[in-house]
Amino acid sequence: MTKFSVNDRPVEYRMDPETPLLWALRDASNLTGTKYGCGTGDCGACTVDIDGEAIRSCLVTIAECEGRFVTTIEGLSRDRSHPVQQSWVAEQVPQCGFCQSGMIMTAAALLRKNSNPSDAEIDAAMTGICRCGTYPRMREAIRRAGRVIRGEERIAAAPPPGIRPDDAARAVPALRPADGN
Amino acid sequence: MTGIRDKVGTKKSRLPHVSRRSLLVGATAAGGLALAWSFWPRHYAPNLTAAPDEHIFNAFLKIGDDGHIAVVVPQCEMGQGITTLLPQIIADELGADWRTIAVETAPISPLYTNTLLVDEDSATFMPRALVPDVVADVRSWVRREWAVRHAVMLTANSSSVRMFEGPCRDAAAQARTLLMMAAAKRWDADWQDCDTQDGFVTWKNRKLRFGDVAAVAATLDPPAEPVYRANNNDPLYGKELTRLDLPAKVDGSANFAGDIRLPDMVFAAIRQGPFGATRLKSIDRKAGMASPGLLDIVLHDRWIATVARNWWAANRALDRFAPQFETAGPPISSAGIDKALKAALKADGYRIAKKGDVAEAMEGRTKVSAHYAVAPALHAPIETRTATAAPDGERLRLWVATQAPAQCREAVARAVGLPPGKVTLFPMMAGGSFDACLDHSVAVQAAIIATQIKRPVQLAWSRAEEIMRDIPRAPARAKIYATLDAAGGIDALVARIAVPSTNHEFRARLFDGTPADVAQREAAGTPDAAAVEGAGGPYNFRHFAVDHCPADIGLPTARWRGNADSYTAFFTECFIDEMAARAGSDALSYRMAMLGQAPLLARCLLTATSLAGWEGGLSGTAQGLACHSMRGSHIALVATARPSDRGLQVEQIVAVVDAGRLVNPAIARQQIEGGLVFGLAAAVGATTDYDGGVATARKLGQLGLPRLSQVPQIVVEFIDSDRDPGGVGEIGVPVVAPAIANAMFAATGRRIRRIPLSPDPL
Repeated sequence: MTKFSVNDRPVEYRMDPETPLLWALRDASNLTGTKYGCGTGDCGACTVDIDGEAIRSCLVTIAECEGRFVTTIEGLSRDRSHPVQQSWVAEQVPQCGFCQSGMIMTAAALLRKNSNPSDAEIDAAMTGICRCGTYPRMREAIRRAGRVIRGEERIAAAPPPGIRPDDAARAVPALRPADGN
Repeated sequence: MTGIRDKVGTKKSRLPHVSRRSLLVGATAAGGLALAWSFWPRHYAPNLTAAPDEHIFNAFLKIGDDGHIAVVVPQCEMGQGITTLLPQIIADELGADWRTIAVETAPISPLYTNTLLVDEDSATFMPRALVPDVVADVRSWVRREWAVRHAVMLTANSSSVRMFEGPCRDAAAQARTLLMMAAAKRWDADWQDCDTQDGFVTWKNRKLRFGDVAAVAATLDPPAEPVYRANNNDPLYGKELTRLDLPAKVDGSANFAGDIRLPDMVFAAIRQGPFGATRLKSIDRKAGMASPGLLDIVLHDRWIATVARNWWAANRALDRFAPQFETAGPPISSAGIDKALKAALKADGYRIAKKGDVAEAMEGRTKVSAHYAVAPALHAPIETRTATAAPDGERLRLWVATQAPAQCREAVARAVGLPPGKVTLFPMMAGGSFDACLDHSVAVQAAIIATQIKRPVQLAWSRAEEIMRDIPRAPARAKIYATLDAAGGIDALVARIAVPSTNHEFRARLFDGTPADVAQREAAGTPDAAAVEGAGGPYNFRHFAVDHCPADIGLPTARWRGNADSYTAFFTECFIDEMAARAGSDALSYRMAMLGQAPLLARCLLTATSLAGWEGGLSGTAQGLACHSMRGSHIALVATARPSDRGLQVEQIVAVVDAGRLVNPAIARQQIEGGLVFGLAAAVGATTDYDGGVATARKLGQLGLPRLSQVPQIVVEFIDSDRDPGGVGEIGVPVVAPAIANAMFAATGRRIRRIPLSPDPL
């Protein structure tokens, strides 16, 4: 049985039940924000949220996901509004970006349980590998997202996707509104 | 298309002067190329496409009627932020509103040739000391012309901003002038009285949007020389603008080569066997074909690929085929590699650089020497090599991250028997790379598989394959010896470095499509100045020499973030530290005494030591220094490290960098931080042993790469500077290992002379 929920939608995968969740998400659901980096749980680039836990999706089979709730980076928020996404941009964390979906999902799961983690708790949770060396910014980005979650701070760093040209033109004088004036 | 008038990148003034006589000399030296030179095309029109409401101004810039500005970026985005930096330079010169900037990747064109890299490479490839100036000039010039013709759009050597700031600024200045000319026509004003600001052309109290005049502006003729924006009260240059690629990198929408999805597309996995002259010998066809979900297999002389509806099923099938490989000659092993390096160090070698007369200076004097060894270094980007290929009638479409798109396209075209013009390459962002994307095997393999199975295919290497088949940065051994003056200062120094001739191998693979094992064999024994670049460091020794002792290690070697400087800085900075300790001198003042010719680096060193609270390097302080200059930038580092019950513990890294003018200080800081972490990884891991022709490591977790908990506090400061920008991508890497090794000496009194850092004897 391979029926479960992905980003709040019910899904049944007609794949080998032993298929790791990662490949069902990527190759069957086209949820390509979750990345393959190693297949052995070392890098964490494939981390998704399963029932509130940050889990390496290369290490769980779709059979093991039966009945559970899976959230991927695409489902973390509809409009990049999750505090971790916002703080990640505000602190300019990503470089190549490849490992970042996994890092963000891990940080979000950590903060959901504990919005004010210590450095040791952050270190214990963030076990992924980033080769670009974005680590020095991650701790601060997590603390900052925590402040947002606790209502102590607001961030508007990453715009939502799909801004309509008219709305853009209203905010940016250099852009011509659709009526041409 | 209208408005195509572009001179960017074809400025004749930047070419070395070539007289008829020198050309003839060059002809002899360069093999008869002189005859053809005058027939080579000198001007190229941009080959951009535009939407119906978009207007092409030049190779770097399109402006839409709605006011959007599309900046064309010819470099591979692999995390270094180039898709923000070049647009920032253009928006600044243009007087654009940053919020109107869009980015697209450049098509393959000679207009985007990285001539700076070609020039720098020429200088190291054939150092001037070894040939008369006139020959070197002509050779460089011929190589540059050749590079332009072949659209050598390399992304490498921290050169993106250094190369393209000028052309981008010129392109923006040209477009700005045209916009002002078009607006002035409407106003019946003199265009030279106009200005631009926030996406408008302004004149007195009137203003027009760029979008309102773009259509007309793109049809006008610009003045012969670019006119630059003089009054810029609120420059975008130098601002810490948020990288344009970040929103897509926090919601999963940023697409890499493995994120392409096409109708009818299938997924492929591959196994390639050991390095060397390897061929696929046999497979267990019966067991393999029974693998669940398998759709197809493709057999090649050197590899087997499996195809399925998802990648995991394809990769699983590979095991069931149990492919057997056969390799001619002795298999590569770590012991064999080390033996070859030791033998090369004992042999004669080639003198690549010299100053004064080391032989005379050392005659009859006591020499002090030390040996060092550095293991091969893997790229290990988190994205394993991936490409998507789709046959399309007589054409082929290809999605891949590449640092040399024209050469990638040629390699693919050659492999599937198409003319290069029939291959459309979509340049993708790289998930790390670190120079791994200068290798195009995965693109070639994807193209062969797609052509054979006649449908779109996405090939991704497994992590094990990525480790086993990554062509690493070369391992090296060095003997540094010196004679000292009465005060213990260095009078004469010789650096003998045994290392393969990587640059020759790399060129043969990239430009001639030579297989890695053949390129390795052919390059063996050739002098390669790039292989010892940075040796001796910035110090002003009275007598000095660098020898390259080419080592035939059997293992192919490649470029890597930091290249040769990543080991030469280790040799030099460790040796200097040893000499300082021997002289009973503070490692800071010992270095400062020899940095008279390097005031910018000296300033970095003083600032870093002051910032870190340098305690004189006394025994028990656990502080270590290192400094280095490369790619027009300078860095000084103070590392604090000591042994702990969990092994080597790096507590703090303080770096001070002079990288000239910074386009975007936030991105420069990211690059230095990233380089330091990459350097830290290389100091403690990012390597593998080899046995039986393959890497012994198979999993990422076996490479010892640092995680967040192992990363020390990192402090990065920049020196304010108006100098032309230097490179920032690589310079963080080479200084980390020597600074930690020197810190460990201060902490323990034991020298570490080996990377990965280990006190084991050599």
